[in-house]
Amino acid sequence: MAKTENGVRIFQGLLILGNVVIGMCGIALTAECIYFVSDPHGLYPLLEATENDDIYAAAWIGIFVGFALLALSILGIVGVIKSNRTLLLVYIILMLITFAFEMASCITAATHRDFLTPNLFLKQMLEKYQKPEAGNNNDKWMSEGVTKTWDKLMLQNQCCGVNGPSDWQEYTSAFRTTYSDADFPWPHNCCVLDSQGHPINLDGCKLGVHGFFKSNGCYAAISGPMNRQAWGVAWFGFAILCWTVSSSSCSPAS
Amino acid sequence: MGDLQQELKDLLAFVFFLGLVPAGLRHVWLLCCVSPFLLGTAVCSQKPQLGDAQLATNNPTLTTVSLEKPFCMFDSSLYPNRSYTIYLYVMKESASAMSSLVTDDSNKPLGSTFQQTSRGQLRPYNAAFFDVPDCAVPPRLADVRSFVHASYVLKQYLFRVGDDGTCLYDPNFLGVCNPPLAPDTTYRFKYVLVDNSEGMVKDQTLWSDPIKTRRAKLPMKIDTCVLVFLLLTGFLASVQSFSDTK
Repeated sequence: MAKTENGVRIFQGLLILGNVVIGMCGIALTAECIYFVSDPHGLYPLLEATENDDIYAAAWIGIFVGFALLALSILGIVGVIKSNRTLLLVYIILMLITFAFEMASCITAATHRDFLTPNLFLKQMLEKYQKPEAGNNNDKWMSEGVTKTWDKLMLQNQCCGVNGPSDWQEYTSAFRTTYSDADFPWPHNCCVLDSQGHPINLDGCKLGVHGFFKSNGCYAAISGPMNRQAWGVAWFGFAILCWTVSSSSCSPAS
Repeated sequence: MGDLQQELKDLLAFVFFLGLVPAGLRHVWLLCCVSPFLLGTAVCSQKPQLGDAQLATNNPTLTTVSLEKPFCMFDSSLYPNRSYTIYLYVMKESASAMSSLVTDDSNKPLGSTFQQTSRGQLRPYNAAFFDVPDCAVPPRLADVRSFVHASYVLKQYLFRVGDDGTCLYDPNFLGVCNPPLAPDTTYRFKYVLVDNSEGMVKDQTLWSDPIKTRRAKLPMKIDTCVLVFLLLTGFLASVQSFSDTK
């Protein structure tokens, strides 16, 4: 008799431990997703302009799933301690629903990583950067967002274009309609600038002399943070789900 | 002299000074007709060249071409105590060989402008004139690394055809115009040495090799289709609708 009681107690202890881990993971997931939603690299306007910002939707879902996991873990601990069948049943049903949400979020994040190709950002940059007065307000808003983001990107990461400054020479662009090739083979921020924001040598920049223009592409600076975000949301979420499945499958036995 | 003889002399000259001139100076001095075989000829066998590709990586662009200035090309024709000017002529390759003259009957340089020649389509136009570059002291290209000297070195070494678009829009402008070239078009260039006091042409280079400006593709042609995304669109839509109902 004592042995089985001890066994049950150990089992209950393990379940409580499992729920504590789920609770902490929930907090971690919420924190991670809040970090991504806060957009520390300022790349959200680029995603907004692709008209497909599902990675952000995935992060938002992650925030709420994190809270839900925390609440459910507390419910689970209470249910195990009280050994109340009803509570545990509610716990399982709600856990399944949370599971579904988190699954959706993870799959969205994982698949959208493949959507963010260099060509996508190249096309967007060429069509929207420095676009003169566009048609409707939505267009204008997106163009302004893209222009500001690219200016900041080129300044902070010492880069130009998606693959390199040659993007501006190989393709026509909205930028080219306003600025002639003789004066601006590429945008002003592609030149190496001094502290006042003037090119250190305009002729050198126009001719493509090394040291006076930025010869790297910005794709690494864009895809790096976005991929980390997608992977962070997707794989951390999957890990939590695995843990949840394994611990939930044990709880009916108690 | 015949073409074949000229070709042979070019080859011998090339081999002769290639051995003598150290590698570091070669890319500037390659233009020089140093060989004794070519002294005394009226037409220097060198031609305008594109700027060094290691130095000016963005050349030619959509509407500009940067050429090396004619260092030491006309040295055999220069007399001391006389002032000279170098004229640059630009012509579209499609213009016929008959109309590629840059001098008139009295050996004076033609003053045809960009507008008159229909952008270089009918005849060569005079894009610019400048002083003869100093052969004794060629610009040191290594100085381009220094931010202080870079502008000076670039201006001494290169001339940018197509640099100035403003003269096209000024209706009163009657002078020599160097407006942007047309994209995806082949041009040829020539330097002509003119004596300032007589106003006569003393020497001229050959027409350069055909140089083509860049062509720009349309961004609409960029392929952004991703197979994986298409395959999973249906699945995602169903999952999203499930999330949305909650």
